[in-house]
Amino acid sequence: MASHGKTKEIITRVAHYLVVILIGLVILFPFIWMVLGSFKFNKDILDIPVKLLPPEWNFSSYRNAFASGPFGRYYLNSVVVLVAAVGLNISICTTAGYGFSKYRFKGRDLFFTIILSTLMVPIHAVIVPLFVLMKRIGLVNTYLGIILPLSLSAFGVFLMRQFFYAVPNELLEAARIDGAGEFRIFRMVGMPLSRVAVVSLIIFHSQYVWKNLIWPLVIVSGTDLRTLPVGIALFSGVFFTPYPDQLAMSVSACIPLVILYLFFSKYFIRGTALAGIKG
Amino acid sequence: MVSSRVKKINNAGYWFILPALILFSFLLILPMINAFRLSLFKWDLLGAKIWIGLKNFRNLLRDEDFLDSWGRTLYYTFLSAGILIVLSFSFALMLDSRKLKARNLFQSIYFVPVVLVTPAIAVVWKLMFQTTGVLNAIVSLFFKTSIPWLDSERIALYSIILVQVWVSVGYYMVMFIAGLQNIPEELHESAMIDGASWLRRLFAITIPLLRPTIILVLVTCIIFVFGQFPIPYVISQGGPNYATELLTLFIYKNAFKYLKVGYSSAVTVFYFLTMLLFSIIQIRIFQERER
Repeated sequence: MASHGKTKEIITRVAHYLVVILIGLVILFPFIWMVLGSFKFNKDILDIPVKLLPPEWNFSSYRNAFASGPFGRYYLNSVVVLVAAVGLNISICTTAGYGFSKYRFKGRDLFFTIILSTLMVPIHAVIVPLFVLMKRIGLVNTYLGIILPLSLSAFGVFLMRQFFYAVPNELLEAARIDGAGEFRIFRMVGMPLSRVAVVSLIIFHSQYVWKNLIWPLVIVSGTDLRTLPVGIALFSGVFFTPYPDQLAMSVSACIPLVILYLFFSKYFIRGTALAGIKG
Repeated sequence: MVSSRVKKINNAGYWFILPALILFSFLLILPMINAFRLSLFKWDLLGAKIWIGLKNFRNLLRDEDFLDSWGRTLYYTFLSAGILIVLSFSFALMLDSRKLKARNLFQSIYFVPVVLVTPAIAVVWKLMFQTTGVLNAIVSLFFKTSIPWLDSERIALYSIILVQVWVSVGYYMVMFIAGLQNIPEELHESAMIDGASWLRRLFAITIPLLRPTIILVLVTCIIFVFGQFPIPYVISQGGPNYATELLTLFIYKNAFKYLKVGYSSAVTVFYFLTMLLFSIIQIRIFQERER
């Protein structure tokens, strides 16, 4: 009887592992196919019978992608937008989170509710009026026009507020007694303590900015200011689309996040988990 | 004297929240309000605005393309959200088990699609969906047929849903795992001593205690999926014959391709109203259960 239960347990266990591994392979498959595809020749990508591995290895797709046309420029644009939008996001979210959690002032809860209400309205929903606004103030086809709306995240404000609640007021009070000004206290006491939360927010928001397609697509009309997602989405050749080049672009766009993920997967997952236990 | 000092310190709070308040009001709240105003005009972005009152809304309710797109987006949202919640919850249960070694590794693998750039990976799916693509090669291993993933009006939307689920399932899985780890282990242990089966514990302990997470995942998921843009934009451009034209794509095309700014603002207002309806329903459900 005991051995029967044991066999049953072993079978359940093996089945558990098999299912987990099988689903894992299914999940990874498009990524693997993308990487292998970027090393194929055009004729082999949609050839029948399907070839998983490249029959002949094509090592020029990456060179072509970067050499032919403005892909390098798109890359640079994406980096500029990323650095500026994430930098701005961190400044706004840390100061606001600190202000909302460490001070009591009139209208505090109202202001917080106003900011939090924008969680319901992603940028996708306001592209038309936002574009009209940007046109009026002359920010269409500018870096600033791409960056400003992408720098906002109500979740970031929320996250930093939650975090600063946990910082003991006594620390701030001690600095006050030493005669430090409020902003100096924030910089010298608040900020150093919030390093972990800030790293989580940087990683969380970087993904959003790096991946966003709709806003740069709307606000940029020429090719000069296109970011990577826009460049990839609108990529096509003159007579035919060279798929390996397009896949090489896709891989190149994903690589920075994937490498970051390999080293900091805990932070990626923590940021998401934090989103899961809010409230 | 002390209170005036405290008050002075507290007023510094305004300065801390000021940048956020200005940017959020200016870039999100103001455009939201402006959408209502713009929806009352006929405007091609270049010429003069012509006041037409509520005519845009009247046309909207007669426009089959809009009504189809709206209904399709609701269908897409609820089907995707339903599949996503069931799958991500199952994955979370599977990967949070203590019996599984290397579960951190598996969790990291399941999370990979979340990290990838959606428009880039949509290009990959588009190629995989082709008639002679790799998915049909896999299908033909088991059946003597091929699936017109993107060519059939009946199937294309489900192909898009497949990509949506693949892209997001790891994200919600991680949210569920975080929720599962908040449930005290002792509850399960004492229930096991009482002889409760796995299924019984799932329905008597796990799911009731996970309710806040489930509601949160549902809300986040619906808001996110309802605004989906890059997947249908890259893979199908809304085709074939509008079969995958979701609301955001409809707004985008009307505003920036056909230059119907007033009309697409009216659709934007509809978008807000739908969101408002969602949140009212969700609050209702939440309060109902609370009692």
